[in-house]
Formats: sequence, C-alpha cells, structure tokens
Amino acid sequence: MKRFLLSICVAVAALLGIQSASAQVQVGKGQLSGSLESNNIFYTADDKLETLGLAERPDPAFGSHDFLKLDYSLGRFSAGIQIDGYLPGLHGYDIKTYQQRDSKLTGFFTKYVQWEDSNYGVRVGDIFEQFGNGLVLRTYEDRALAFNNSLAGARAFYNFNNYVTVKVVAGLPRLYDVRSKNLVYGGDISLSLSDITGWQNGMLSLEGSYVGRYQKDLTTMALFGFTENYLNMVSGRVNLDVAGFSLRGEYARKLNDDIYNININAEQGEVVYVDLGYNYKRFSASATFRYFDGMQTSIEVRDQAIGGGNVLNYLPLLTRQYTYMLANLNPYRGCSAQTGHEIGGQVDLYYSLRNPKVRNKYWNFHINASLFNTMDHFTPWGDKIEGRNAWLDINADVERQWNKKLKTTVLYSHQRWDESLNHFDSIDAEYCTSDIFVADVTYKFNKKHSLRVEAQYLMSNDYEGDWVAALVEYNIAPMFSVYVSDMWNCEGTEYNYYPATDQNELLHYYQVGASFTYGRYRAQLSYGRNRAGYVCSGGVCRFQPAYTGVNLSLTASF
Amino acid sequence: MKKMLFMMLALFVGVSASAQSMPDVKIENQEGKVINTTELVDGTPMIISFWSTTCKPCIMELNAINDSLYEWLEEVEMKVVAISVDDARTVSRARAMAKGQGWDDFVCLYDKNQDFKRAMNVSLTPHTFIVDGKGNVVYSHSGYTPGSEQELFEKISKLK
Repeated sequence: MKRFLLSICVAVAALLGIQSASAQVQVGKGQLSGSLESNNIFYTADDKLETLGLAERPDPAFGSHDFLKLDYSLGRFSAGIQIDGYLPGLHGYDIKTYQQRDSKLTGFFTKYVQWEDSNYGVRVGDIFEQFGNGLVLRTYEDRALAFNNSLAGARAFYNFNNYVTVKVVAGLPRLYDVRSKNLVYGGDISLSLSDITGWQNGMLSLEGSYVGRYQKDLTTMALFGFTENYLNMVSGRVNLDVAGFSLRGEYARKLNDDIYNININAEQGEVVYVDLGYNYKRFSASATFRYFDGMQTSIEVRDQAIGGGNVLNYLPLLTRQYTYMLANLNPYRGCSAQTGHEIGGQVDLYYSLRNPKVRNKYWNFHINASLFNTMDHFTPWGDKIEGRNAWLDINADVERQWNKKLKTTVLYSHQRWDESLNHFDSIDAEYCTSDIFVADVTYKFNKKHSLRVEAQYLMSNDYEGDWVAALVEYNIAPMFSVYVSDMWNCEGTEYNYYPATDQNELLHYYQVGASFTYGRYRAQLSYGRNRAGYVCSGGVCRFQPAYTGVNLSLTASF
Repeated sequence: MKKMLFMMLALFVGVSASAQSMPDVKIENQEGKVINTTELVDGTPMIISFWSTTCKPCIMELNAINDSLYEWLEEVEMKVVAISVDDARTVSRARAMAKGQGWDDFVCLYDKNQDFKRAMNVSLTPHTFIVDGKGNVVYSHSGYTPGSEQELFEKISKLK
C-alpha cells in the first residue's frame, strides 16, 4: 500500500511539475526526449472470488510495471536508454511467473548508440529488428504483455540506390529480466525489381533472410537427444503491389531439428504465409493464409516451458481482436501449443458508402471471417489424430454516422471453437459456440460533451453460458473521461474446468474508471473486478487470473 | 524504485520547452515501399496520428478528423498522416481498413515493428502530434475523447 501511495504521490507531483514542459530538452546542439509509462495495480480483497476459488489475493497485493525511456539525438547520431521496473511484476504476467532473478522486485536496463544515414547505418546496443513478416526473426517490445526480446549486439544496414538493401544483425536476446547466453545472428537482403527495371506503375521486390541461433548450454537437453548447438533458419519472400492489388508471400523453414516442446514430435519446421489485398475506390479486401508446423522458435531450448517470453520469431494468432469485451471473452488461443502446427486463414471486407461532399453522413461496412484447423498427425506415442476445425469466427459490423451528433455501430459475431484443444491434443473434439450481439451509440451534445453507451449480449453453450454487458462513458473533451461498465454472467458457471465448487453463481464483473489527459500526460484510475481469461495483445495471448483491484496507469513524454 | 521515480521526477521538472524535430525512421507507405519519415516534411503543417486496428479511440479520432477535414482545409493548409502501428499480423487489415473507411485524403504509413512509434516516444495509442512545415513537433496529445479533434485544429491554425 505504501508503494502504491508513493507511486500516486510521485506521479501527481510529476504531472504538476511537467506542465511547464511542452516539448523536449535542448542539450547543446542535440535534443533529449523521453517518456514514462507506469502501470500499477493494488489488489483488493474479494471474498466472493476467493470463496468460489476463482482468485487468491496476490502477496504482495501490489504490482507495478514502469518504463522510463530517454533518447538523445544530434543529427544522424542518436543514443538512448530504457529502464524497465517490475516492482514487483503484475499478477498473471509471464515476467512475474518466469522472472529469472531471485528477487521480488526486478528490472532491466537497455541502451543503444546509433548512426544512421538514409542509405547506411550502424546500431550497437539493444536492437529491435524484424525480417519480413517476422517468421524467422522478430525482436520487439509489447508493454501490454510485458514482453521484450531485444538483442544486445550490433546491427548494420546498407542500401544501394534503392535497388538492394542488406541488413546484418547479431546479439544476445533478452529473456525476461536476464540476458540469454545464446547468440542469435542473421542477415536479410531485399531486391527491389521495380526500382532496378524502372517499373513505375507498381512495386515488386524479392527478399530473403537467414537466422542462426547458437545454443550454448546443452546439459539438460542432451537427456532428450538434443545434441545440436546450431539452429539455422531461412526464408524467401515476394512482395507485389500493382493497380490496387497486392501480394505478400513468404516461405520459411528450419534447416535442422529444434525441440521446442517435448510432448510434440520434433520435425524440421516450416511455414507458408500468403497475404492478398485488393482495393477499388472505397471497397477493400484482404485475405491471409498461413500454414506452419514446428516453426515456433525459442530463445533457449529448455526441458520445461518458460512462458511466452522465450520466443525468437513471430507466429501470431491471425483472428480478429475485438474492441468489445464480450466479443473478446473467449478468444482463439491457437492450437499449435498442443499440436505444433496450424493451418487456416482469414478474410476482411471493408466498404464505405458515402457522398464525398457530405462528410458527416456515411455508412461503414465490415465483414470478417477466420477459420483455423489442425491436420492429421501422430502423437509421440504413435496415436493418429485426424485434423479438424479448431476455430471459426464469422462477424460483421456496420457503423452509421447519422449527422454531426449521432453515431451508431452494431456488431454480430459467431464464434465456434474446440474447447478440448485449449487443454490437450485430444482425439475427440468438444465444440462450443458463442453468438455475440453488440450495439454502440455515441452522442455528442456539443463540441466538448459526449456520451457513449455499449450494450452487449453473448449466447453460448460453453461452461459459463450466457453473458450480458453494458458500458456508459461520459467525455468532456479534450481532458476528462469517466466510465462505468458491468459484465454479468447471467446464466451462471458450471465449474468443470475450475472445480473448486459446484455453486452456481451469477457473477458481476464491474468496472468504474476515469481518465485525465493534459497534452502529453495522461492518468487513468479504475477500480473493478476482472474475470479470469485470456488477454491478447498483438496476436499473443496471456492468461490473466481473476482479480479485484485498483488500477492506476500514467504516461508522460517530452 | 524510489530512486528511479525521483530521478525521473527531477528530470521532468527540470526540462525547458523547445521544439522537437521529427526523427528520421524508415517506414512503409500504402504501396509497401519503404520511405524515410523526413520525406513527409515539405513545408505543409501536418497532424500525425498513431493508430492500430485494435484501438477503437484511434479509429474514432481519425474518422472525426476525416469528417472535419474539408472544413479545416478551407481555413488552413495542412495534411493528415495516419501511422498504423499494426504489426505483421494485422498490417494487411490496417491497409484494407484505411481504404475501406474512406481515408483517401490521409497519407497512410505502416510502422510494422514500431520503430517510428519508439522514436516518437509514443507509449499508448492514440497519440497525435502536430508538426510544423519545418518538421518541428509543436504539440502532442494522447488519448481521444469525441470533440478533442477541435483542439488539434485550433493548434494547427495558430501555426499560420
């Protein structure tokens, strides 16, 4: 509690102190800029959740993720640091569950120096890099997941006349709050055929990547027959854009075995990724197909799982991530954790019906569908499991701006998933379906005051049954916003997966919150009960245990 | 923790105001070509808005700017740059959405590994900047509430 109050005091003082600072600091001829983000939760007691066995109050009853970033730039030169503090990590985040240092409070310090011209550049320190679609290498930060796998090392690139760009990178990846001893290295080349041939009407490029990883420590893995220090991966890509049509295709594979899960047959991994796009006036379509098998690549091959932070490449879930709470209640979590593979795709169609001269009246239509299956495969014990549907989602939303004051949105989503695949690689399917209905109305009283109301209903045959939810948000632009929401499990839960009790409870998950924004500074305070479930960001989901608490989030930049 | 927070506090209180110039970062345009962000600086003031397909207030803000754009252009010369921070997973959806929402008058760019987002010190989206014709960042705002686009117009009008 002390820490929580300290955070609030410091944050308020900081917010008051920085009012005078509207932009960044001049240091000599260079410039200093920075940002601070602080996410804090104080977990309060909730007898109901605890009695039902749905949540235990964490000890300590406080968590805080803090990120302070400072950058200095002078012409083409720049340098920077970032301090991440997990003080301690928030309940349910992998950084707390799998942190490698033996201390309740932990953190990480990163730094870089860089010199970059438009045609060549060198960076030493922490590197964020992505080759192509990230199928063989993606190092990035996602603070919503407390994820960061940046490489400590060096990167250089050279671009010749826009014809060819070459990148090389090598470094030690970050694994939660320590630096892995496994060296990762790679190169990427991109040939712009449209520039080389002088083709003016479109864009065509061919690209290729190589990524290697040196596993330093084989001691524990040798028991499982894993004796190879080196992992090699390659990828080839084609990108085409012409007359409103676009194609992005990539094929990547591992050149040797890489045991990423001892319960799954280790095969040489491969992935096929095809993305097609088309647009004509205000109609646009996008379709993605992806197949992968054994392609998840860890920073460190271990004999036990160490969570979502131990990842070197990017094979995200491609399903739609909604902005409405009930539509996101049971998101697709992927079947590859059980099977090692997945095949499927998704389609988006957008159309905007509007008179170009009347800007305040229009219809926006959107249809999305996704389907992901498993394929025929054998368990390590030789049992054959036939491929089947793991996830299906068909959804549509229509947005109508009636006039300057009134806007309405309706959304319908039909979701079907195989619940058994959320637990193990089962021979028999266990399908659940949900139908979700959402209405969302925004009314502007005048230039400053507005009201937004959401009403949602979810019909389901899963273990929790039906839900109803509502949200009311009142805004005073540009500074204040307050909201109250409730998600009510109106049919009641059968606790067959969380078997603490058979009591049929009709639980409310309520939230009340307010936000204050002043230019570059923002504070958000909320209180409420949060359901246990999967919270997704950027196609990666993490399990969030249920909790009740006060949430304070602060961001500032200069 | 205390040390870190007080260090931060001292730093933030001690700063003096000056104009930040826009960093030069590589980013993809609507056709998938890589350009440098400094190519955007051409003498015309601009609103730069960071958005993603999973950020509802971001899309509300860009739609609100789009609704008012012609009225604003009658009074001030400006352009709108919409920076999608969607990664490889949703970048194709972002491209389709930008076209299918009628954002024809925006310059749409795609920051697939969030290099520009990091360089501009954006923590949360939406985060909107006003950049003058010389590339100096003169104002920024995070979050969106309906009507706050009016503030952007007022700020960019003062640049004349």
